[in-house]
Amino acid sequence: MFDDLKRFETGSAQQFDWLRQLLDGFFSDGNAMDIRAVPRGSFPMINVARSDDTVRVYVFAAGLAPSDLTIDVQDNVLTLRGKRDSVMGSNEDGSSRPVFRRERASGEFVRSIALPDGLDAERAEARHAHGVFEIVLPKREELKPRRIEVQAA
Amino acid sequence: MNNVVLSSNRSSLQPRGDEKREQEALLPAVDIVEESNALKLVADMPGVTHETLKVELDNNILSVEGRIALDMTEGLSALHAEVRGQRFARRFSLSHEVDSDAITATIVNGVLTLTLPKKDSHRTRRIEVQAA
Repeated sequence: MFDDLKRFETGSAQQFDWLRQLLDGFFSDGNAMDIRAVPRGSFPMINVARSDDTVRVYVFAAGLAPSDLTIDVQDNVLTLRGKRDSVMGSNEDGSSRPVFRRERASGEFVRSIALPDGLDAERAEARHAHGVFEIVLPKREELKPRRIEVQAA
Repeated sequence: MNNVVLSSNRSSLQPRGDEKREQEALLPAVDIVEESNALKLVADMPGVTHETLKVELDNNILSVEGRIALDMTEGLSALHAEVRGQRFARRFSLSHEVDSDAITATIVNGVLTLTLPKKDSHRTRRIEVQAA
């Protein structure tokens, strides 16, 4: 489903981030930016999808076990907190090792994202599989789509 | 879609659709460190499982490819997306010091760890400096 998102034109792929940031520095467009927008490639990455009766948040947090992520919802803001340890340790004798690349985020993180109105945080549920957390937030009854029958005159 | 075999002899004869799909693959973030007898590569591939991961070695080109296996219900529409694609792919060229038969890979919670052991002849040896 997220494959279809080319039409939601919010930017280029993550590998062009640095270029995008560089270009943004030279050619800033005067457009208003979402107050909670973050640069692309922040950890963890988040997708949000909507169905008729729920809003689902997918948190792509590779390397986190279920107990490593704290999920809070207050008003319409979802906050994710956690910590990911660096695998870049050192040798048994304490000497450090040569590092060629260090692209993976490590350490503590906090991310907040604004959700649509009308969600019932009391009934929210979260699941975890293969480094992806799925948070399911049901919509309140009054906001679910309703079909209105036309009465015969 | 996941059977695209990435090999170093990929030629321009392949259909354009295939090329396009390769461009759309997400680039996983990696850490690479050198240990005394192996190189270690760690890649973030959230949503990729043991079954949807493919690691291939062809002519010293190591290809890592994995499909994001999300179990999604029908009728979803996207509101916001930072991960836009269904698969991760990245390729690395290896030097001859790597013992290609002894490479091991594990994936836990969407983190791939590849251990690339060095051939015996290339392991680190400490050279003692002799007193004059």
